[in-house]
Amino acid sequence: MSVIEQTDTSAQTPVVTEIPEAPVSILIAALGGEGGGLLTDWVVSAAEQEGFIVQSTSIPGLAQRTGATTYFVEIFPTSASALNGRLPVLTLLPNPGDIDIMVASELLEAGRAIQNGFITPDKTTLIASTHRVYATIEKAAMGDGRTDTTRIIAAAGEMSREAILFDMGKVALESGSVINSVLLGAMAGSGRLPMKRETLEGVIREGGIAVENNLQGFAAGFDLASAKTSDISSSEPRTAHKTTVLSPGALAERVDREYPGPALAMVNEGVARLIEYQDAAYAGLFLDRLDPVRDFDQANGGEDSGFEITIEAARALAHWMAYEDVIRVADLKTRPDRLPRIRSDLKAGPDEPVVVIDFLKPGLEEFCSIMPGFIARPLIGWATRNNKLDSFNFGLHVTTSGVFGYSMMRFLAKLKGIRRIGHRYASEQALIERWLLSVKGALNLDRHTGMEVIACARLVKGYGETHRRGSSNLARILGELIEPALAGSPTALADQVSKARNSALADSSCAELDSTMATLITK
Amino acid sequence: MERSFKKEVQSLRLGDGDTFHGEGILAVTKALLQSGVSYVGGYQGAPISHLMDVLADAQGILDELGVHLETCANEAGAAAMLGASINYPLRGAVTWKATVGTNVASDALSNLASAGVKGGALIVVGEDYGEGASIIQERSHAFAMKSQIWLLDPRPNLTTIVDMVEQGFQLSEASSTPVMLELRIRACHVRGSFETKANRQPEFSRRNVLENPDFDYGKICLPPSTYAQEKQKIDVRLPAALDFIREHQLNEFFDGDKDDVGIIVQGGHYNGVVRALQQLGLANVFGESQIPIYVLNVTYPLVPDEFVQFCAGKKAVLIVEEGQPDFIEQAAHSYLRKADINTTIVGKDVLPMAGEYVAAVLQEGIAKFVEGTQPAGVDTSTVVDTVARISGYKAKAAELLGEPVPPRPPGFCVGCPERPVFSAMKLVEQETGPFHVSADIGCHTFSTLPPFNMGNTVLGYGLGLASSTGVGPNFGNRVVSIMGDGGFWHNGLTTGVANAIFNKDDSVLMIFNNGYTSATGAQHIPSTGTNARLEPTGQDIVSALKGVGVKWIKRVRTYHVSEMRKVLGDAMTTKEGGLKVIIADGECMLAVQRKKKPVDRKAVADGDRVVRSRFGVDEACCTGDHSCVRLSGCPSLTIKSSGDPLKSDPVAHVDEGCVACGLCGENAHAATLCPSFYRADVVQNPTAFDRMVERWRRRYISWLGGSAPATGDVA
Repeated sequence: MSVIEQTDTSAQTPVVTEIPEAPVSILIAALGGEGGGLLTDWVVSAAEQEGFIVQSTSIPGLAQRTGATTYFVEIFPTSASALNGRLPVLTLLPNPGDIDIMVASELLEAGRAIQNGFITPDKTTLIASTHRVYATIEKAAMGDGRTDTTRIIAAAGEMSREAILFDMGKVALESGSVINSVLLGAMAGSGRLPMKRETLEGVIREGGIAVENNLQGFAAGFDLASAKTSDISSSEPRTAHKTTVLSPGALAERVDREYPGPALAMVNEGVARLIEYQDAAYAGLFLDRLDPVRDFDQANGGEDSGFEITIEAARALAHWMAYEDVIRVADLKTRPDRLPRIRSDLKAGPDEPVVVIDFLKPGLEEFCSIMPGFIARPLIGWATRNNKLDSFNFGLHVTTSGVFGYSMMRFLAKLKGIRRIGHRYASEQALIERWLLSVKGALNLDRHTGMEVIACARLVKGYGETHRRGSSNLARILGELIEPALAGSPTALADQVSKARNSALADSSCAELDSTMATLITK
Repeated sequence: MERSFKKEVQSLRLGDGDTFHGEGILAVTKALLQSGVSYVGGYQGAPISHLMDVLADAQGILDELGVHLETCANEAGAAAMLGASINYPLRGAVTWKATVGTNVASDALSNLASAGVKGGALIVVGEDYGEGASIIQERSHAFAMKSQIWLLDPRPNLTTIVDMVEQGFQLSEASSTPVMLELRIRACHVRGSFETKANRQPEFSRRNVLENPDFDYGKICLPPSTYAQEKQKIDVRLPAALDFIREHQLNEFFDGDKDDVGIIVQGGHYNGVVRALQQLGLANVFGESQIPIYVLNVTYPLVPDEFVQFCAGKKAVLIVEEGQPDFIEQAAHSYLRKADINTTIVGKDVLPMAGEYVAAVLQEGIAKFVEGTQPAGVDTSTVVDTVARISGYKAKAAELLGEPVPPRPPGFCVGCPERPVFSAMKLVEQETGPFHVSADIGCHTFSTLPPFNMGNTVLGYGLGLASSTGVGPNFGNRVVSIMGDGGFWHNGLTTGVANAIFNKDDSVLMIFNNGYTSATGAQHIPSTGTNARLEPTGQDIVSALKGVGVKWIKRVRTYHVSEMRKVLGDAMTTKEGGLKVIIADGECMLAVQRKKKPVDRKAVADGDRVVRSRFGVDEACCTGDHSCVRLSGCPSLTIKSSGDPLKSDPVAHVDEGCVACGLCGENAHAATLCPSFYRADVVQNPTAFDRMVERWRRRYISWLGGSAPATGDVA
């Protein structure tokens, strides 16, 4: 470091200023409309106020329009007057191996920065929020298309000099601020920004918008960063874990008596779900169907695998048995906890009325689902032949928070009592039994094949056309692939089933399934 | 306009010796005023959209100086505007986006360049190349060469950029030639500082008008003038330009002690090259480089003797020239050959022929150059090791990440009025079977991305319909063409609509009427109703359509998916021939929210009754199929882990960003999706009546066993 003498105008005594050898390079990766531009302005203004030489630029692209955007700032932490006419050359291109502070407002964008080589162990402090804003291709998948972020988090730790990670979205929400004030606080707290905390807070004040909240966000970010927080727990769990305790009774005793510990949580969940869905008898039917699977599991080393077969079968079976029909939907939409939940989601004040409008479009299928088979079957048969299944749907805007809307929904929910005579009930139970038969057959081959067939229940979901597609895809995989195979002497059935299932989930037209089945059947 | 510069434009008033702090675009505007322009104009488009916005917001200051601002219909109009400088000593500047703009401007531009100018004529071109670019990747350089227009590519710091604007006008006048100033995306958005001069009153302007029109057949583009003009370009204007560039040292030489090699660089890439050298230990932070550098702030015309002078006595020279073809490198070869100098020229053999010169590319290219030429006194090994170390990190990162992170392209904003139209088109396709879509330039081009993946071709701004005329007749189904209102006024009305009527084309045109050129930042257009100065204009799309003879015109609110589905279905199947135009009405949601938010905030504060709405998904009803997402792609319609142990797939979820545009409900109906969606209206500052109704509803519902009124009592 070269050292030169300079008389500071404010102080009487000459002060010694060290001339840095390189600027502080800051790369900010944000999402369009998140205020990355404002964050950059805060940093630049603060640097200017401290008399530093600073330059920023950006690739906003279509910044407002939700895409990934980057901002780049270089601060030369000394005043021009100290340089005797020489000026640093600040670049507009973020330089791999040269980034001091990498800021990412979202976890996937942190991953992108790592991928582009901007985060290097010798230099870069990574400051990233662990919350997720899902990319369209993650959201649009028919199953679970979310990126597994564990690798990103691992890479963040390994590739950076230090990684400051926490859910800044949550912190912003708690402090009533926006994420960029939390990010600014975290940058300051990391100790790598050359500007003083007061200067940065001053810049926020000058902004004049939501000052107090932004200062709170800043403070929260500052504290967590200066504590070198690396809290990845706050990123949302991918699957729910909750333990349901059954109210005492015959079913509760039966489960406790007959089911192994590891499976209890899921089986209890299933029993509870089906009691509230229909009644105790229906929950009993669930256990009767599950028993043989459990027996097989216990007899074939389920112990060692934590009874995963019993657990997965319980999950799939219970979820399917609690299929969503008109009655179920009406029931769910008139639950006592629904309106309160919506009120809190919208942060509605205690004396602010909330009107809830539901968008329903019942049609022939919904009508037939509660009609007995001898009426429903011919109707549906006729409609299917003439491609009129969706022709009689009528759109309803039901004000469920109102007297009439609520009464109507409540009435539909009450039809629970006659669900069993309905056509939908009969058809679902038939397909369930058929699937269970194949599950047992597959289990007799080996556990792996069994698991694959169990997983096929995932295909049956949704409403209207989606549900029709799912059911017929499953029926097709059972009828054309699994059942014939089990009747004969199957080879590599597990592999074939998973191929077929995945292609059924791959696209909403059945094109991919068609081609896969074609290749599988010809074998 | 999306962004207001009302505050920033005050810095356009700065005088001699003041210090300007701000964005590159604003600095250029200041430079124009310091140069005493009489008129300015242009057509918006990233990265120079803000130049138009700044000028519009600076109207007051422009009036004081008598400067006229024209927000032109398109780039051709902007280029034609420069005609003012052909006969008269008027300085003028226009701006547009990259080669796409220059393409549109070419006709006027060629004629302007041939006639030559008396007053300085400057074209500020925002080069949209590389990361963040939204257009086809080409160079402006070729245009400068073919028309003999001079091309400036200044070092990307505000002082140099401003200086080159001022020098550009002088160069233009000294050589009677229009001048292009090329600014790359990062340079347009660079925020820095420079020392200002006072603004200059133009000699002639609205305040001091011209008296006598000048007629000179020599300036008309007809023979024999055109022959004379071409000769003059080469015999008079080019030499004059070269003299000016030499005398005023527009290009810069930086010495270095390792002078058996050298680097020749486009001004715009100087900072990147210096940083790469610094990283390789060959320069310091002040740009003091061990290797001599010749900076081309003027990339056309090149000054042959400067090349010769720089290369003489060097064993090798690296030319850093972004994009293709390698015009500068080729020229350098011929200059040295003619001067019989054997310096090796290195360029596209160590740097890529195509693609942006980002930091890593420059680093590796320069390292290869040093390694290959072994300059005396340079420790080549450290250079090579540095690059190896840095690229090693990238390899390691890729290994740790396993698979590449999913891309995140831009898309329709929350509540965008254009999204529902493509939802409807998807639904229509289910009935009619797939059809060819001639897409256009604008926000609606995002339809080509997931989840819609609609739009088979994009041929240019306002050319959606025109690009359907060849393919249309070759399809069984009718072809659907897309056009934004921006593209419609840019040239779509004539090139597309009038032509389709004229040729009796049987096709369907969807015009997105969102009120602005939204993709470029919501600048006003004829059908906005007002111009940039907010003066009413009384122009609209329907009367324009009728005026050119369109009979079949239907207007549909974009958010009414079912109706849009029906109308488009009719247009596709009706026996009626000819052009069928559907106007999809829906104001840009960004603009709507910009206006609505402050109004609502104030109303709530004033205690007025305000209804706040948001959509939601009943988690328990959602089966995690995500067909709603595939039909919408709205940023605020997202997914979250299901709270239900029985459901393994994530469920749909509407986040706080929702502006209740209504699409979710519309789709749920139009597509018979599922009953999971609901809309919730929160009544803020409820009236006594609201409270009473709410009270009775809650009593009734809790009586039926619904929600207990415990959650907040209605007073």
